[in-house]
Amino acid sequence: MHTQPAKLKAHPAEIATLLRGETETISAWSECWSAQRFALHIAVIVLGAGLYGAAMGWWRDPQQALYVAIKFPLIILLTTMGNALINAMLAPLLGLNIPFRQSFSAILMSFTVAAAILGAFSPIIAFMVWNAPGLASKSLSGPAYNFILLAHVLVIAFAGMTGNVRLFQTLARLGGSKAVAFRVLVAWLAGNLFLGSQLSWILRPFIGSPTLPVEFLRQAAFHGNFFEAVFHSLQEIFNN
Amino acid sequence: MNEQNPVPPQIPPRIPPIATPGDYRQLGDDPAERVAITNVVAAIDAILRHPRRVMFQLRQPDAGKLIAMMLLVSVVCSLIYGVVAGTFSGGDQLWAAPAKIAAGLMISALICLPSLYIFTCLSGSQARLVEVCGLLAGLLMLMTILLIGFAPVAWIFSQSTDSLAWMGTLHLIFWFIATIFGLRFLETGFSHSNARSHAGFHTWVVIFLLVAVQMTTALRPIIGTADTFLPKEKQFFVSHWGDCLKTTDKDSKSRTRE
Repeated sequence: MHTQPAKLKAHPAEIATLLRGETETISAWSECWSAQRFALHIAVIVLGAGLYGAAMGWWRDPQQALYVAIKFPLIILLTTMGNALINAMLAPLLGLNIPFRQSFSAILMSFTVAAAILGAFSPIIAFMVWNAPGLASKSLSGPAYNFILLAHVLVIAFAGMTGNVRLFQTLARLGGSKAVAFRVLVAWLAGNLFLGSQLSWILRPFIGSPTLPVEFLRQAAFHGNFFEAVFHSLQEIFNN
Repeated sequence: MNEQNPVPPQIPPRIPPIATPGDYRQLGDDPAERVAITNVVAAIDAILRHPRRVMFQLRQPDAGKLIAMMLLVSVVCSLIYGVVAGTFSGGDQLWAAPAKIAAGLMISALICLPSLYIFTCLSGSQARLVEVCGLLAGLLMLMTILLIGFAPVAWIFSQSTDSLAWMGTLHLIFWFIATIFGLRFLETGFSHSNARSHAGFHTWVVIFLLVAVQMTTALRPIIGTADTFLPKEKQFFVSHWGDCLKTTDKDSKSRTRE
């Protein structure tokens, strides 16, 4: 598919183009490698997800805020890089014949959209946390905890969904077919969710617990995995 | 027989479109909208009588000056309204209430600005960040001008009642009415930026309202009195309002017994 020749120089205002979902321009960007644009997308992910992470961890402790500000972008970047090869292989197998660089760029752009949204919501989350009773003195229950947890779920779900909608639109333009774009998106999403949930498990805690010390990684970070934990939780529910 | 009509069909005269809030005439079509806004009085007049003029001017390269003017008017008007709100308790509240109302409004706008810009972009709008800032400044200015309009009524009530809950409710009603008009201005501006959908904007409105009402609780007391400038205890606005109503209910019951 012919697209407009992309500019090699990137400008921060280009993030607005990503958010608007101007697929013609975005497809052209994915076809034409630009180190500057790549750096811009990484910077938005580090800044946007970092700010959101800081707002999330701040409730427990300022040190926790710093840790989560590092861990949140790290999950996104590690997921993108960890699945880059398999995602690039799956795309042609499912009918979308694009090179490695283009699939990597498309996924990075979808995460950039999500991170920009997370960053924009970080002042609101920080304001909510500032208004909530301190987590250090309370147990992990009560309306404030549930409300903040619900807000995190809604914001992260919204950011994730929007990033994937924009990715779908880009894939549909690149492949010329919505069916192919959907197949590729589902395959990529499954892989990213699988790796992303395990990375989140390793890099826990995020909100933190008042009864446990503030630390970058739990001592048992590499013991067990996310899916085992879910399985054990389900077992406990059904045994009771 | 030739059935062709030799007389060309009459073209009905063009009816000019009726100006409604949802109408999509291009900004600047009317020459009056292109007149530059050079001072504060012109800015106030424009936002009340010709909001499209403000919207058009916000798209011009020197929109920064207009935005600064609108923010200045918002701060001054909210300080004046704050003094009126402070007269209910008097004393320190005469300076604390204006400071809190002005700061609260500005901080709420600042907190919600990034998400407004994101929702604007997600809806396909071509508005630049400066224009979004300008529309938000316009919302604040319109809101605070309307609050000044309500100020005499608020002052009369604050001098004639002792009920904190009643005064709180009255100020909230005035704030809510002023906000509706401010949001209407913002939505009209949003419509002119080629937005495909208003769903994101409506979501943002809910977020803005929640942040603003929570700000009243975070900066309490605004109309009552307390030992400290800011509250010692963190609360969400629903539980704070509930506590206020319970206290008022107890007071009124004890007064009835007396």
